[in-house]
Amino acid sequence: MSKLIVVACGAGINTSTIAEDSIRERVAKEGMTDVLVKRILMADIEGYLGRTDLIMIVSMMKVFRTFHVPVFQGMPFLIGSQQERDALLDKIVDAIKKA
Amino acid sequence: MGILSTAVGWLLSLGSSLIVMIVLIILGLVFRVGWQKAVRGGITTGVGLAGLFLVVNVIVSALQPAVAEMATRFGVSKSLVDVNWADAGIAWGWPGVAGLIVSILVVNILMLVLKMTKTLWTDVWSYWHGSALAGFVWALTGGNVLLGILAGVLYLVAGSLMSDMTAKKYQEFNDMPGIGVPCGTTVQASLFAMPVVWVLDRIPGLKDWDASPEGIKKRFGLVGEPGVMGFLLGVIIGIFAYGVGTGDFGIAKILGLGMNVAVMMMILPRMVSIIAEGIIPITMSIVQYMRERFKDREIYVAVDCAVLLGHPAVMASTIILFPLLVLVAAVLPGVQMLPIASLAVVPFWAGAVVPYTKGNVVKTVIVLLLYAIPFMYLSTWSATSHTAAFQMMGQYADQIGQGLKLASWDMGGDILGNIIQGIFMLFGFRTA
Repeated sequence: MSKLIVVACGAGINTSTIAEDSIRERVAKEGMTDVLVKRILMADIEGYLGRTDLIMIVSMMKVFRTFHVPVFQGMPFLIGSQQERDALLDKIVDAIKKA
Repeated sequence: MGILSTAVGWLLSLGSSLIVMIVLIILGLVFRVGWQKAVRGGITTGVGLAGLFLVVNVIVSALQPAVAEMATRFGVSKSLVDVNWADAGIAWGWPGVAGLIVSILVVNILMLVLKMTKTLWTDVWSYWHGSALAGFVWALTGGNVLLGILAGVLYLVAGSLMSDMTAKKYQEFNDMPGIGVPCGTTVQASLFAMPVVWVLDRIPGLKDWDASPEGIKKRFGLVGEPGVMGFLLGVIIGIFAYGVGTGDFGIAKILGLGMNVAVMMMILPRMVSIIAEGIIPITMSIVQYMRERFKDREIYVAVDCAVLLGHPAVMASTIILFPLLVLVAAVLPGVQMLPIASLAVVPFWAGAVVPYTKGNVVKTVIVLLLYAIPFMYLSTWSATSHTAAFQMMGQYADQIGQGLKLASWDMGGDILGNIIQGIFMLFGFRTA
């Protein structure tokens, strides 16, 4: 079964696209073919929580609740330096491997 | 010169989807993203733009007869069709978009070097607010690309200054050090909120009144879903337009209108997101270059207003505001556009206001009810140049010929954007 990562932002238009782009690029570089990166509206999150293939949420805004899967704050994709972005991607890749 | 103008004329005759495709492929090659990314981005954006106009076409065909019917039955004139983020289509499809992107990059770098702003405008997608205004002014001036770019740059420069004023507050409230949000109508809501909240905090009884965001979401959350809200609005408009006593045929029409409005509410933002999917990868390299260039200075890195939506009070306020805003727009005399698609911008306004109301739902609702009133009148006022911009891009030519007029809050109703349009009109520019 593939592993689903949802990237959530307010409208599913701008910030989540930036993060999705970076994550997809890294996932491809790692040779992971079973990872699906999908951008969604945070308002639609409920519909994804029940999915058994969901392994991770990357949120582009501050999260005020807890989830049963790991949540990463995607802000470094927007404003971080190259090192900060790579560090976050390292963490994400680790979490994918563990899932 | 002759060859150049022939080339430009040929390019314009291609239509906005092909224009934006070619422009983005060239930009991608200039920004050195590699030809594969450039071609993919260019084609994706062209597809998104075409899709956006298709969706708007659906809603225009469904909604225009209904509002016309409503006008004859009740004598209330709400004749403008709300297309809201279809303005992103003007922004990325008008002929001067590449010039605008390059101009604002240069101006922003100059302002940073001269220490006139702290905001590093890396959020290329959000240039669209300025670019849509540029498209309106392009139409207003009868097709003057340079004046359009000038208007867009003025708007975006003002956005950087407003971002400087609000950045600290956004950073503290959302716990996001280093960000700034220069986006159009959003950051203006913060400036508007400052004095209004000051007054509200001094009114006894009101200053401590609040509502629980979780309770509102639990009870009325469904209304906050764009599809559900769209369907409801469509049905209500349908009832006013066609009446309930017209038998099966009337009910089918009413339900059909509900579905069409729901289609628009859900699919319009998806189309905008396809446009973004094409543009963002192409601009990532220039963004990274700019970030490295200024990394030793205290700067605010521009991000989209979507990052402000995290607080629970945002959606709770939005849910209460949706019906109230429609009601206010319906009863205010002289307001010609019933907000439907434009409601999509309300959460972003709320995101800009909650840092100032400290997450108080009641105050956020009051601030935004007041803030929306100028948008209601300005969207009516600017409908002519707005419609002309679509027409000059070759969209909806037949319907516009038959009297269709298009409007929106974001960007048609934008306060600063209308001030800039007004300045151009002072210099004698008028749409024919």
